[in-house]
Amino acid sequence: MNWLKLVSGLSLALLVIPVLFLLYEGFGPLRDPIGYSYEVFKSIELTLISSAIAATVSVALFTPLAYYFARNKNSIGETLSDIPASIPHPIVGVAILVIASPLTPFGKFLLSIGINFFDSILGLIVALTIVSAPIYIKSMQPFFQSMNIAHENYALGLGASKFRTFISVVLPNSGRGILSASLISMSRAMSEFGSIAIIAYYVLQQPFYGVNPAPVLIFQYYTYYGLGAAVTASAVMILVSIAMMILLRLVKH
Amino acid sequence: MIEATVKKKLGSFTLDANVSDENFVCLTGKNGSGKTTLINLIGGILIPDEGHITLNSKTITNLPIERRQVSIITPDSCIPHLDVDRHIVWGAKNKGLNVEQDYITEIKTSLGIGFDGKVRKLSLGMRERVALATSLISKPELMLVDEVLSNIDNRRDFIDAFKNFATKAKIDVIFTTQSPEDSSEADHHYRLESGKSTRLF
Repeated sequence: MNWLKLVSGLSLALLVIPVLFLLYEGFGPLRDPIGYSYEVFKSIELTLISSAIAATVSVALFTPLAYYFARNKNSIGETLSDIPASIPHPIVGVAILVIASPLTPFGKFLLSIGINFFDSILGLIVALTIVSAPIYIKSMQPFFQSMNIAHENYALGLGASKFRTFISVVLPNSGRGILSASLISMSRAMSEFGSIAIIAYYVLQQPFYGVNPAPVLIFQYYTYYGLGAAVTASAVMILVSIAMMILLRLVKH
Repeated sequence: MIEATVKKKLGSFTLDANVSDENFVCLTGKNGSGKTTLINLIGGILIPDEGHITLNSKTITNLPIERRQVSIITPDSCIPHLDVDRHIVWGAKNKGLNVEQDYITEIKTSLGIGFDGKVRKLSLGMRERVALATSLISKPELMLVDEVLSNIDNRRDFIDAFKNFATKAKIDVIFTTQSPEDSSEADHHYRLESGKSTRLF
């Protein structure tokens, strides 16, 4: 076996062994029925739906920005777009909390028009979007850079505006890239804990009244019920994440 | 009538060229002589460091690509997801031109476009035929055809037909080629050497 295969195998094992170990313990020796209760599946449903919406919002709002970064050098803009991903995520939660706080004039205004981020599905989606959008942008930027610019120059030469070129030439040929980047972004949103533990520890809106997002629920189980429930719920969540990753691979190929 | 007197420095290479002609203009030169740089400057992909470019007496030196009335065709030029028939009228529709079906059929027949399907699935030569037909139908004032003609079979007949349509539509054409015999089809011929242009006829 050559050295690269050996090193690659060892480094891959470092990543996979803890996951396999957790799956084994979660469904084996440490199995606790609380870990696959209705509450867990409701929580995973909330996480999946809110993460999918966050990824969709990222596609709608940040695809043009990723395209701009791909076609124009803007190191300041790129650094700014990285900030939400590079700071400790509880700070994002605190920031959203401040924006939506009744103690600030802007927060009062938002509340007066019925927009509440605290313990709401909206707040959860906003937090997930902010922390996962930089991942979406970072995934889409190289995709756009790899697109042949001759197509765009040709369309512009045919008199199309830059906007029409983006809508009618760039986007129709970006479907696979957008799908792949949005799934990566969704995976990142599903794993988010820091910001949502502050802004949406649980959600107080139907149909998820009193439901915690899955990463928060696992933390809660760990503190309330101990290791068994947390490990079993984690194992269930890992299975969902693996299904997501398989879907991602299928899309990429 | 295109008049371009341009200077552009790209790394250690400097282009210092002058083109002033109309109709069917051929640009030859070895690899790295500056043909594509000159095409990109006239097309608006690059902006010259010095000099000016006018097209039919309008200054276009600093205009964005989409406002120049100049169509740039390279071997990669196409809108990949469109099928052939939608592709061919895409530019004309963009400009709000009303194109008669007879004219489209005539161009398709003369340029050997007897195939259909998604443009991304066509061979290089077929794709180039479609790209050139699309540009002709969109009636720009100038077509810049960069290293395209050499990939097309029955080249002599194709160039004749292409030149015929361009002339009828009063579209000036600048085309680059590595093949000396293509220059015999041209009304004017420029040669580029190490970034310097020479008008041969």
